[in-house]
Amino acid sequence: MKEQTVPDRLKISPFLVFYLIMSMQIGIGVLGYQRIIAMDAGYDAWISILFIGVGIHVIVWMMYKIGETVNGDIVTAHKYLAGSFFGKALSVIFIGYFILYSLTVIRTFIEVIQVWMFPELSTFWFTFGFLLLCVYIIFGGFRTVVGTAFFGVVLPAYLLFTFGWAVKFSNLSNLLPIWDHTIKELLTASYHTSLTFIGFEIILFCYPFIKEPKKSQKWAHLAVLTTTLIYTVLAIITFSYFAEDQLQKQIWATLTMWKIVEMPFVERFEYIGIANWNLIILPNVCISIWIASRLIKRIFNIRQKIGVFFIVGAVLILINFLNTREKINTLNDYIGKMGFAFTFIYIPLLFAAVKIAKKFMQKRKVKKQ
Amino acid sequence: MLSSLFLIHSAKWASFLLPSIHKISKTGNNKFNAENDGDFPMKRWLKNKRIKEDVKHKEWEQSFIKSKDFKKIFYYNQKTNIRFCLTFMATLVDENIIQDGILPNLLEDEFREIEDIKQLVPVADVQICDDPSLIEQKLMNGYVMLTVETEMKHFGFIAAQKEIVRGISQPEVEFSVIGPKEAFVESLGQNLNLIRKRLPVKELIIEEFTLGSLSKTSIAMMYMENITNEDNVNTVRQRLTNVKFDAITDSSYIVQLISDNSNSPFPQLLDTERPDRVAGILAEGKIAIVVDGSPHVLITPTTLVEFFSSFEDYFLNWLLSSFFRLIRLFAVAFSILVTPIYVATLSYHYELIPKDLMNTLITSRREIPLPPILEALFLELTIELLREAGARLPTKVGQTIGIVGGIVIGTASVEAGLTSNVLLIIVALAALASFTTPVYRMGNTIRLLRFPFLFFAELWGLLGIVFCFCILLTHLIRLTSLGRPFLEPLYPPRVTDMKDALIRLPFEKQSKRPLYLRTKNPFRFSKKKAEEKQDIDE
Repeated sequence: MKEQTVPDRLKISPFLVFYLIMSMQIGIGVLGYQRIIAMDAGYDAWISILFIGVGIHVIVWMMYKIGETVNGDIVTAHKYLAGSFFGKALSVIFIGYFILYSLTVIRTFIEVIQVWMFPELSTFWFTFGFLLLCVYIIFGGFRTVVGTAFFGVVLPAYLLFTFGWAVKFSNLSNLLPIWDHTIKELLTASYHTSLTFIGFEIILFCYPFIKEPKKSQKWAHLAVLTTTLIYTVLAIITFSYFAEDQLQKQIWATLTMWKIVEMPFVERFEYIGIANWNLIILPNVCISIWIASRLIKRIFNIRQKIGVFFIVGAVLILINFLNTREKINTLNDYIGKMGFAFTFIYIPLLFAAVKIAKKFMQKRKVKKQ
Repeated sequence: MLSSLFLIHSAKWASFLLPSIHKISKTGNNKFNAENDGDFPMKRWLKNKRIKEDVKHKEWEQSFIKSKDFKKIFYYNQKTNIRFCLTFMATLVDENIIQDGILPNLLEDEFREIEDIKQLVPVADVQICDDPSLIEQKLMNGYVMLTVETEMKHFGFIAAQKEIVRGISQPEVEFSVIGPKEAFVESLGQNLNLIRKRLPVKELIIEEFTLGSLSKTSIAMMYMENITNEDNVNTVRQRLTNVKFDAITDSSYIVQLISDNSNSPFPQLLDTERPDRVAGILAEGKIAIVVDGSPHVLITPTTLVEFFSSFEDYFLNWLLSSFFRLIRLFAVAFSILVTPIYVATLSYHYELIPKDLMNTLITSRREIPLPPILEALFLELTIELLREAGARLPTKVGQTIGIVGGIVIGTASVEAGLTSNVLLIIVALAALASFTTPVYRMGNTIRLLRFPFLFFAELWGLLGIVFCFCILLTHLIRLTSLGRPFLEPLYPPRVTDMKDALIRLPFEKQSKRPLYLRTKNPFRFSKKKAEEKQDIDE
């Protein structure tokens, strides 16, 4: 079982993992996660974000251990456990997962555009243009994809300051009393944030493309920490800005908060915000399509370029069926659940399996000697 | 008609030779025929070595004779009575050198054999060789060929090139108020001199290439042996030798022929007319390509930010130069984005504009019958028209065009109700901002970039602008210069290289050479000494 090694010039520096993970995590979820988590845990939900943040650190640590043990990506890990055929068969599921993921991201973003900016925007044509751009990026290779991820984090970072306007009108006493919900309620809220948080699992797929992966681990942790803090602070600002009942009517609370931004030359900042969100969405879609096409290449031995066209075609066809708010919402829920199942159930199982398999193999080696 | 004088040389053979030459041109295989002349039994007596040599002579001469400036003159030395011959292209050699420096000595001193020219001729570049294949090239490079009757196999070459060089003038494209005022000219030798005298070390290597099947342009590649990355040098060498083109008349040809992606509107090699800039980049570990006949020297590998840094930045205090660089960056962004933003907001998002500002915009647009996109396109194209016309016309007429265009057309179109005066201001400012790029080529790129942005702004409003920006960004991420990322140090992010990118830190902080060049010696000077801290009153 000889693995194809990635040449050094195609690998990325360890610290770029920080941007890779952050850009993948921050996507459509941020625009409206506040309402969903507040449904279960009320205004204590910011604590749930910290909970899940801690949980993710453990998962990141596990993913690095898996990568280290098998010295490769998830396909290698599957092959390690179940042999070549079953290993590949197991990995096929993830092609579907990432295609669905990119589909969800694009469709939800288009929904935001249609609700807030252009009600008449053609879903098909915008997706078409967007995917063409993605193809152009992915054809540039993994380094280009990571480049978009980098700029997708750095350039829109200024948007964080625009929430300062909301702070002016916020009332921190909204959060009081702290911790008047049960642990169970808090954990349910944590579970519901998963759509906002998923994305860090890409390490399992990009592992062979990282130069000195061990060094990158701290950057991965830092990325998760940063997103957790951003989400927590944003949630606190949102909770202190909206009254609890009011928040339940805001599907996209983050966007609504932008309405308060006022500058001498700009009113209705949400237009600029949504337009900028294009840059944040782009790496989400690109990375997931890249991973899916990479998986196709690894599993079926098809050229990655053909895989990309296949995925893009699939997304382009599927997106036409998602034409109502309910369908989009359902898809979002499903992706959130799938993401949760993948990251918080499957990865620990995989981790345990890989560890046991390694012990087993070592023992057999010793016996043979 | 001196060119026909060669016939004196062997007039009696002429009648024999003419048919043989005729035959040669028919069969087309000169060498073969010349060698096999003796196979004809009737002409066996022609198997005289001297005749053969003569035939060869005639072959290379055949094409030369057609040109009027080909001269072949025979002389007799006064002392030894030896007959010698000077062959040269009258248009390429300096006849003064022949008259004053070559002929007097050859005619009057004791000249017996060809070796003597090394003693007799007071010219630095004198060569003797016996390879007839060199003749054509040497003659075309402005050498005078000397042959002596007794030694037909040896040729002496004396350099007598005519150098008609424009005097060194001030840089016109990259003018700077402070700093050196020398600019490159159209001569390779002169340009190399300008560079070398700024870097008088033996490590500065000059490699020469001759490119272009017709133009035979000499091209020099310069680098510092102990600094520049070997791979970069090899890549440039490789690309230069792979150039297949007939006539290379300027360095711009080389830019397009050797750049990584020739379909990109961005120039991937920096060109400069300032010798000081070239000396600066050579010391950094980059490579310079000097093309004969071009006053622009190419610099490679380069990055995007370098196109926005003027060499004057290094003459100013770091605070000032950083400030100017940021202004330039802002100007470029403004120049590309402002008209599209105008189109986007006025077509789709007028809610975005506060009430007071909206009043101004509405008042100015009240009587305009065109939608914002057409209005903007009309004005943008007018400005492009003016620039293009101004660039093509002679200077004095060009000024008139500027006045006519800027004032008359602008005011008139506002009064006629074709465009709003707010947009007129915006477009004029955008045009002004695009002139701030220190490298002219990049200014051209920026002119072009505005139009796709306008298109997307009309299509999807602000979203379209961001979308188009994403395309631009991707293109820049994918672009490489000599295989090195073009967007460096922005992406891949290199914090250490940021010291001389968007801002320029003081020279004490610049102890390291740019990281992306992967130089052999990454330190410009010892950082320790530069950073020795002094206490108060020490």
